[in-house]
Amino acid sequence: MKRSLLLSLAAVGAVAYPLAAIAADPIRVGYPMILSGPGALFGEPSLKGAQMYVDEVNAKGGVLGRKIELISRDTRGSADEAVRVTRDLILRDDVQFIVGTLTSAEGPAVSPIARENQIVFIAPITKTDQLTAPANLHPYVFRTASTTTIEGRSAAEIVAKWNVKRIGTISPDYAYGQDATKAFIEHLKKIKPDVEIVDQQWPKLGEADYTPFINAQMGKKPEAVFSSLWGGHFVTFAKQAVPLGYFKALNHNFVGAGEAGSIESAKAMGPDYPVGIWSNTYDLFDWPAGPPAHKAYIDRLKAYTKQEYPSSWPITGYISMQFLVEAIRKAGSVESDKVSKALLGLSIDTPIGKQTIRAKDHQANRGQFWGKMKMDPKYPFAVMENVTYIDPAPFMD
Amino acid sequence: MPEPSFIFGQFVGGLTASMFLFVTAVGLSLIFGVLRVLNFAHGSLYMLGAYLAWQIMNWLGPGPEHFWLAALGSAVVVAGIGAAIERLLFRHLYGREELYQLLFTYALVLVLADVCKIVWGTQQLSVSRPLSLSGGTTIFGTLVPHYNLFIIVLGPALALALWLLLHRSPAGRIIRAAVLDREMLGALGANVGWIYTGMFALGAFLAGLGGALVTPVKTIVPGMDVEVIVEVFIIVVIGGLGSMWGTFLGAVVFGQVLAFGILLMPRFSIFSVFALMAIILIVRPWGLLGRRLTR
Repeated sequence: MKRSLLLSLAAVGAVAYPLAAIAADPIRVGYPMILSGPGALFGEPSLKGAQMYVDEVNAKGGVLGRKIELISRDTRGSADEAVRVTRDLILRDDVQFIVGTLTSAEGPAVSPIARENQIVFIAPITKTDQLTAPANLHPYVFRTASTTTIEGRSAAEIVAKWNVKRIGTISPDYAYGQDATKAFIEHLKKIKPDVEIVDQQWPKLGEADYTPFINAQMGKKPEAVFSSLWGGHFVTFAKQAVPLGYFKALNHNFVGAGEAGSIESAKAMGPDYPVGIWSNTYDLFDWPAGPPAHKAYIDRLKAYTKQEYPSSWPITGYISMQFLVEAIRKAGSVESDKVSKALLGLSIDTPIGKQTIRAKDHQANRGQFWGKMKMDPKYPFAVMENVTYIDPAPFMD
Repeated sequence: MPEPSFIFGQFVGGLTASMFLFVTAVGLSLIFGVLRVLNFAHGSLYMLGAYLAWQIMNWLGPGPEHFWLAALGSAVVVAGIGAAIERLLFRHLYGREELYQLLFTYALVLVLADVCKIVWGTQQLSVSRPLSLSGGTTIFGTLVPHYNLFIIVLGPALALALWLLLHRSPAGRIIRAAVLDREMLGALGANVGWIYTGMFALGAFLAGLGGALVTPVKTIVPGMDVEVIVEVFIIVVIGGLGSMWGTFLGAVVFGQVLAFGILLMPRFSIFSVFALMAIILIVRPWGLLGRRLTR
């Protein structure tokens, strides 16, 4: 009896000692993200937003008395590489959490690694419904990004208000483009049954020449078009479509999902932007109707990035890290199982308002800003007018 | 049956794409024809041309026709960079196995991609089309932008100019001699080293010009180097490596297959191009107008 007590005391001592050592260690969070190639345009500012939040938390003494250490790795936009660096982060860097991945190929590829290692994984950008679909859902995967369903349905809500019947779509031919377009069409047909889909174009992801697709679409004479061409793809598309009279033929009844209204795209095109179209963005530096918290966030971001007109992507990293830290605080622990339970139903106040992760599908009610693009003499690029944050809660399944 | 105006629109669209690519592709083909080096980094020179055009536009400030200065200036700078690369680096590769050339030029792709990223960052950059060509003309019921018309005319003009240079000028005679037998040419007293440098610079000029000319219709982003090299490779393989008119034909075929492939198989048009390349590689590996390699 006495001997076993001694033994267990020794065992406790052996366990307690490294625990004490860990308590002073930072909480290590892995951030696999596209940091090279075309996707870095969004990956880098996302990492910046995450880092800014981490710096803010650390300046206030961290969480549970421990600082947070963000360790980023370049996924180079490939699912294979994302899997490799994630494993590396877990095995070699000994991270306790994974936040990151960008494309709709990377997120679903990394999710099983999180399940296998029982590590909480929060996806800040990946939109494909597949990530949190019932078949793929597990206790450790969460998403603070919007989804293809939310994005497509938000666009349908906008188009339904227009006096148009003949609808066309043009979207990149891969998971994200297909899913968003499908969600758009299904929801539009539901809320406005008299619409007719007259044309669907599917350029490949990264298409360099959209002219044949644009011509083919104009030939079908749609009255309104939905597109999920994103980032530089939208810019290239629009630069080729404007001189062909495409947007004019549509009376600018064009809704560009995929953040065509983000400052990145607006800045790139400058005076060439097809003003009058509708679009969305994750964030915007000028949101007149926004809460004071958003204004304060933008001011901090301007100082942090030393940019007069900061990127719209840091918010993705910022909110995902905010969710993680608040969950750790709520759980009072960094154990995966406790943090994962704490995330279920967790509501936090973010710079863009209250966000909640639903318990049933681990998905945040993350909407986006939508509005009509116009030129403002105050800025050398197009900005959104009548900005609305579309809360997806009413039309999420 | 689609309307004739639509068919015409598709045709013009395809032709525009062809001629954009021809400018860059012919540079690659010329370099291979004379130096016998397959320069993987040709797309990187194209990307450099695009970024430099943006940079020069930025330095010049707003001006309706500054684009032309920017395009030419950028192509000249890229030619200079090409000459330096040839003299300092490529020089050591001649006569080595293809594998080494491939590895080396691939390394150059990575280095130049990083250089561009360090200098210009990852943001998307864009250049407006020159004011003089900002309009469009309706031909057979299709609105054709003037800038596209300019490119469609530029392609054949460039091909003709290069043909005259190679076949009707004293310099061309020496260059053609270098293609046939570089050792004999050297033995006859010609400075083969400088001929190579000159050809590489010319090829680089065309890559830079191609990159600069494309900026009014495309976004300048990291990754455009790899994107274009794939398309340009397809074109020179179809047309025949080292053959100038072959490259021209390859570019035209590439553009039309893509444009009309979209009509027949909306989601697999890119597949038709790859399929065409595969068939040509099997049936006629030296390309439509290429010559069988003898060594």
